Order: sequence, then C-alpha cells, then structure tokens
Amino acid sequence: MSGTVIATHGLRKAYGAVRAVDGIDLDVRAGDIYGFLGANGSGKTTTVRMLLGLVLPTAGTVEVLGRPIPKAAREVLPGVGALIEGPAAYGPLSGTANLSLLDAAGPGGSRRTRKARIAEVLEQVGLGGGGKRAVRGYSLGMRQRLGLAGALLRRPDLLVLDEPTNGLDPQGIHEIRLLLLDLHRTGTTIFVSSHLLAEIEQLATRVGVLDRGRMVLQDDLATLTAPTGATVVTTTDPAQAARVLGDRVLTSDGERLVVRGSDPAEVNTALVGAGVPVTGLVLQRPTLEEVVLAAATGSGDRVAA
Amino acid sequence: MVRRGWRWAVVALGLAVLVALPAVFEALPADDASVAATDLRDRVLASDDVAFSGYAVSTGGLTLPVSDALTGVADLLSDQTSLRAWYRGAEDWRVDVVTTTGETGTHRDAAGTWTWDYADQRASRGDAPPLALPAAPDLLPSALGRRLLSEATDAELTRIDPARVAGVDAVGLRYTPAAEAASVSAVDIWADPTTGLPLRVVVRSADTSIPALDTRFLDLDLATPDAATTAFDPPPDADVTTDRDLTDVDLGRQERADLPATLAGLDRRTVEGVPDQIGAYGSGITVLAVSALPGRAAGSLRSQLAATPGAVVDDLGVRIAAGPLSLMVAGTSTRDGGSGTYLLAGTVTLDALATAAQQIQETDR
Amino acid sequence: MIAVELRKLFRRPRTWITIALLNSLPVLVAVLLKVTDLAPRPGEGPAFLSAVLTNGTLFPLAALAIVLPLFLPIAVAVVAGDSVAGEAQGGTLRYLLARPAGRTRLLVAKLVAIVVFVLVTVVIVAAVGYVVGTALFEVQSLGATTAVSGTSLTPEQVAGRTLLSIGYVTISMLGVAAFAMFFSTLTDSPQLATLGALAVLIGSSLLFTLDAASDIAPYLPTRYWLSFVDFFRDPIQWRNVARGLGLQAVYVVVLLGAAWANFTTKDITS
Repeated sequence: MSGTVIATHGLRKAYGAVRAVDGIDLDVRAGDIYGFLGANGSGKTTTVRMLLGLVLPTAGTVEVLGRPIPKAAREVLPGVGALIEGPAAYGPLSGTANLSLLDAAGPGGSRRTRKARIAEVLEQVGLGGGGKRAVRGYSLGMRQRLGLAGALLRRPDLLVLDEPTNGLDPQGIHEIRLLLLDLHRTGTTIFVSSHLLAEIEQLATRVGVLDRGRMVLQDDLATLTAPTGATVVTTTDPAQAARVLGDRVLTSDGERLVVRGSDPAEVNTALVGAGVPVTGLVLQRPTLEEVVLAAATGSGDRVAA
Repeated sequence: MVRRGWRWAVVALGLAVLVALPAVFEALPADDASVAATDLRDRVLASDDVAFSGYAVSTGGLTLPVSDALTGVADLLSDQTSLRAWYRGAEDWRVDVVTTTGETGTHRDAAGTWTWDYADQRASRGDAPPLALPAAPDLLPSALGRRLLSEATDAELTRIDPARVAGVDAVGLRYTPAAEAASVSAVDIWADPTTGLPLRVVVRSADTSIPALDTRFLDLDLATPDAATTAFDPPPDADVTTDRDLTDVDLGRQERADLPATLAGLDRRTVEGVPDQIGAYGSGITVLAVSALPGRAAGSLRSQLAATPGAVVDDLGVRIAAGPLSLMVAGTSTRDGGSGTYLLAGTVTLDALATAAQQIQETDR
Repeated sequence: MIAVELRKLFRRPRTWITIALLNSLPVLVAVLLKVTDLAPRPGEGPAFLSAVLTNGTLFPLAALAIVLPLFLPIAVAVVAGDSVAGEAQGGTLRYLLARPAGRTRLLVAKLVAIVVFVLVTVVIVAAVGYVVGTALFEVQSLGATTAVSGTSLTPEQVAGRTLLSIGYVTISMLGVAAFAMFFSTLTDSPQLATLGALAVLIGSSLLFTLDAASDIAPYLPTRYWLSFVDFFRDPIQWRNVARGLGLQAVYVVVLLGAAWANFTTKDITS
C-alpha cells in the first residue's frame, strides 16, 4: 500500500460563529506514524471525528484510503481501526462479548474467524486472561487495552488513535508503544492524536501540529528535528573554551556552549588541542517541544481577557 | 458538505399529507339525488325491512335534571353512546351499547327482547311493550329517523344539502314542526338514497346551536347479518330476570283526571300501551304527556325541579327545559286544599306548558 | 445488526429485571384476589379482572389490562429512550458508527429490538398470568367462557383471541416506543428521552378524559389501547382495532422519519 492514506482539503467545522476546525489540509501517507499534536481544545478530536464520519464538515473534503468520507464510509471504515476519545464498552458484558458485538455490528468482520481474531487481539494488547470478565470490573488501563483490541480486530490498514496511552501506567505505555511500532513494521499506517509531545516524539515519523483549529506545522519528524549546524559543548572551563573558539561561540550558559560547526570531532580537536577539558559534545538538534512552541501561540483552553 | 434539509422536508411533507388526508376526505362534496321531500319520507318510513349491520355514535346535548330512576335515559341524552347494530327485520335485530371494557346488548326476537348486561352479568327478558322509556336501540339513526318522521306532514318537509355518512352519499331531509307549541326547531335526516335507510339524525332546538341529539352511522354494511348474531341464549352462569314494565310504575291510580281534549293547541290522542291516567297530546315530534301525580312524589319532584338552574317557579307550578325537552309539576295537592298535582312533560316550549297547566286547572274548576 | 441489538438487549440484566418487575403487579393482584375473594364488579377495575375468580384462564388478559395503562408503557419508554441516548451516554455510539454500523440501519435494528422486547414482555406477562391464573383460580375445563357480548367462547376461541390481544397490545406500544426513540436521538441523556415519552403518554391519557379535547381524542396515541377488549366481543369488533393499528403505524412512520432525519445528519460528539 502506498500513496496518501488520509487527505483533507480545506476541512472546516463551525459551531455557530466558532470555527473549531478551520481549513485543515491533512496529508498522511502510507507507512507513516503520523503524530497529530495540539493543545486541548485545538480541534484534534473534532478532526478525528470528521475523519471517521461522526461529525459532518461544514466545508471541505475528507478522503480516507482514497475514498470520500462520509459518503463511502461503509466501504472504507471496515479497514480503519479507531480509538476515539477514550474507550467505551457495555459494562455488564465481558470483554470478549463486547468485541464480538462490535465486530458483528458492521461489515467486513467474518463471523467464521471472529473467535480466533478476538483471542488474538486480546493476547496482543495484553488482555489474554481478562476476556471473560465483565468490563464493569476493568481498570481504566484495561479498558484502554480493550479499546485498542477493538481497533485491531480486523487487521486494519489504518489505525486512528486518539490519546491511546491515556490511563496507562509507564509500563503499559511502553508496551503499547512497542505494539504500535510492531504493527507499523507490518505495514499499518498509524494516525496518533495526542497532546503529549514526548509520546509523539518517541513514536511518530511525521507530525502535524494544530493550533486553535488551524494547522501550523506538518512535516517529517526527522526534518523538524534536523541538526541546526551547531555543536553543543560542555566543559569545566568555559572561559578558556570561549577564548579558543572565538566568535564561533553562539551562546554560552554556564558550562554549556553552543558553537557554530556541524562536525563535533573538529570542535573537539580544536578544544582538546588547546588543553580545554571537554566533558560533553553533541550535535545540536531542536526538540519537538521547541518546534511546537515556536509554531503554536499558546494553550487552547486559555481564555483571553 | 452534506445537505441536511431534505430529510426533514420529506418527514414534514409526509406528516402534512397524513394530517390533511382525513380533512380532505371529509371536505369532498357528497352527490345529491333528485328526489322529492315527501317521496324521501315515504322511502324512509318503508325502510324498516332493510337489513344492515353497522356502527353508530349518538351524541346527546341535553342535561336532564332527573332522579336516579331515570339515569339510564339521562345518560343516553347527555353523553356519547357507541352502538353496534345488526338488523334483519323489525322483530329480529340486536343493538349493543359498547363501552371501553363492557357492553349492554339488546336482542329482539318475535316474542320480546333479551337484554344482556356484561357489567352485572345479567340477562333479562322483556315482552316488548308498546310503550317504554327511551333505550339505546331507539337512538340508532335508522330507528330514530323512522320514528320522528312517522307523523310528519308534507308541508313540514323540505330537502337539504346531501352529506357523506358512513361512506354513503346520503340525501338530506328537514322536518320543521308546524305546531306553535313545538320546542324542536328542526329535525335533519340524511338517508341512503337507494334504500331510504336513515343514516344520520340531528335534532335541533330553537334556543341553542348545539344539537339536542346527533346520531349517525360511522360504518354501515347493507348485507343481511347472520341469524346467529342477533339471537341470544343467556350464558349458564348469568342472572336471568324479567324486565320491569312501565305499567308497574306507581302513577297514582286513585287520582283520575278528567283531562281536556285540547291542551296548548295540541289535540288529545290515544296511544297504544299508555294507561288511562296519562293524557297524550300532539303529533309528530311535538308531544305532551300529562299525568296526575301522587302528593308524595309531587313534593319531592317539585323541590328537585325548583333547584334546577333556569327553573321557572310561579303560581302555576315549577317548570324547566332541557333543550327541546320540558317538564313541569303543576297544581296544588288535595291535602293542601287544591285539586291535585300533575306532571307535564314533552317536547313543547315552556310557554306551552304554562298554557296547558292553566287549561287543566280551569277544567278542574 | 438486528441480531447484535437483540443480543445487547437480552444479555443485559436490566432487561430481565424490568420484565420481572412488570410481572410482579399482576401476580400481586392475583394473590390479593385469591386471599380476599373480593373481585371488582364487572365493568369496574381493569378489564376481565371481575371474571377471573370464576375462570382463571382469563387471567392472562386481566394481567395485560393491569400492566397496559402504566407499567408496560414505562418499560417500553425506558428501553426505547435508552436505545440511542444510552449508547451516546456510554460512549459506545461513536464506536458503533465508526465501525461503521450505518445510522439508518442502527435505527431500524433498534426499533426491531424494541418490538421484540415488547413482544417477549407481553408474552411473558400473559404466560405468567396463565400459570398464576390457573394455579390460584378455578378453571372451567369443560364449560365455555362468557364473552363480553354474553355469548359463549370455546377454550380454543379464548386461546386464539388471547393471541390476537397479545399481538395488538404489542403493536399498541409502538407509538410510545417511537416517541422515546425520537427523543433518544435528540438528547444524549436516556433519562430525558424516557421522561419525554412518558410526558407524551401522560398528556395523552389526560386529554383522553377531557371532553374539551374530544376533537383530537381519535389521534391520541393511547386512544385505542383498550381495544383489545374488542376481540372478546362477539362478533369481534374490528373497527377500533383497525384504527388503533393505523394510528400506531402513523406515529411510528412519522416519528421514525423524524428520528431518521435528525440522527442521520447529527454530529456525534458524545
């Protein structure tokens, strides 16, 4: 599978005069792990719901797997696994029963293979032993895993996950990350929406940043966090180092100097040759946080006076 | 961009059609047939051999201030009564008064009637007396129409616009009583043009626009019903009794009245089954009945009538009107030195009642 | 889809608790009748109850008449009001629609599930009524049952007409179900949808007793509910039964149309 998996053009959703989503052009390609970032209230959830045909756009188009949504939802969505704003299940029923009902509720889930598929995904998300229990007794983390199992049930080509690690402990988050990376290796395109920069940074290959309903950034993570052409030096004698490097020092902050030059080895040679003790040496890269903060204007749930 | 409006438009259109349909159907004009008023009356009167089955509703607009003994009659004339009827002939029919959870059926055979009351699980046998209090079967448009037209003269009849009744384009006939004493201003009857069967009867009184009685068929089938349907055998566990007859009612036999030959312009007449103590006057739908009253009964009835809103109390007695029906207790009891008390009742105006009461007292003197 | 809705409905303990509660009232009435031997006068109290002391096989009908005015419609309003709003409140609606279970399909499946629920409930009420009636009261095994019209019905006729009544009562509930379902698509609160349907029901029952409202009485959803009694007249009076069926059909078509118009264009934000 290659090419564009999710494409929106001028996607807009207005609630009265308020534009929750304002002219978004999403571009998710096959094989991406697309990190969809944005503060709370920036329009992430509304966008995800429009991708799945739950919310109808005010203007603009949505294409998923090459077909228009919501028009072709019945053909497209069986191939999409989704986790939308937290998991939901029928409390009195067991995890297995919930998955079975969900699978039977729409097209594309063969009844013959259902039992085997359910057992497999439950094992995959780490609920292998909990399928028989009523969901009412599940912890938040277990529910989240069950929701993920539901999304994986039909081996989808595309996973749309809204805050997938919500409610999980660090161990659980790690497990889920490994699972997603594993799925990605087998060819699944993953669209993850989150407000947690660190999570996206560790997972995504491509990033889109939403700010107050507008897309302010969309690029490969590697490009965004590419080396800046500077080297960061840590030394116990910053004064001496500054003297040696002269005007190549861009900024200095205690024992930490940012030095022009994209070859740390060359910087090292210069410093060591002059007898400056070097304790740390690394190519400078911007963090995702720095990129996002530079692009976005502020928290979406702040209300200006 | 999804266009949302059209779904609501479809729903609104569907709703509008469904709501408008009965009204449109109602508003469709009924066809008229060219038939003279007198011919139509003759056809109606000859319709008592027309077999049918149907469902009729009678709505009474009268509030009768009467004693408990007559609540049955009062309900018939003041409420809505649903009737199912099967009619094979004048002496083979059945009329059920249908209530939500029960019914009272009257089955007529050659010898008399069976009355089945589900509420009391009681079947009672009567011998079809010539005179009886009004009962539910009398409210059936067919029976009522024939009865009311039976003495209508040619001059009293005119044709009116047709109306659709029970799916039939029924031709209209108006009976306007000529007698001055009449309290009924008109009786409108719509009948099936082919059989003459009255399908709707509306009795109007002069003083109000609300009909005193409006009875009509809602369903009608002119096929002859099964004999098994009109027949009746009392169920094994029911009470079986015999109807009380009107002649059993205490009318004060000891007080015989010499009643004048004419009262309020209405001539005295003889009616089969009416005891001698009662004088019957008038014809058609303008009738007056006069009877002497025992003193005890007179006292209580007089005070009851006097307490009725709109009652007229004067030297002659107490009189009230309920739509076209009027009722009066007149005279002074012999115990109080008078020449006796009378009950006057009929479909005459209050003025006519007063005139009649005066004429009776003058005769006695 | 329909199978899914049925499984959801009948695997839920609440459904069976509702049905059990529904049956408790007729059973209580039967026990009280047996203990006190005080049947209401015929024509008073719930239909057919007066005849039960002498013929227990009529108790299924009395049981239906007992639950018909209030218990049954409340149960229907609760289940139907929960149909869409309950899924919205629980968050499962978004997963169902993203699955994707088509919105129109979902509505139809919900309606069918509600109809099955009503039918199962009514059949259970009648069955429990039969068991209780024949256990507590006399059964006229040879003698015939007296119909409302005073004629005699054979046991086969009674059985057949009881089945007709069960079907009619089931269909009578569809108007309430349609109201509750429509409200259920308007709100994310199942309680609100149920209350809305009950408000309609109580309003309808009240207007029915009011002379001033007699012009609109034939269009009230509760107008022909008691017409199942007409099956026990002889001959059967079809007029009101037919009107009742037609009226319920109109309510179902219009309200389901409105529910469809609303639900298929609604933003699912729950």
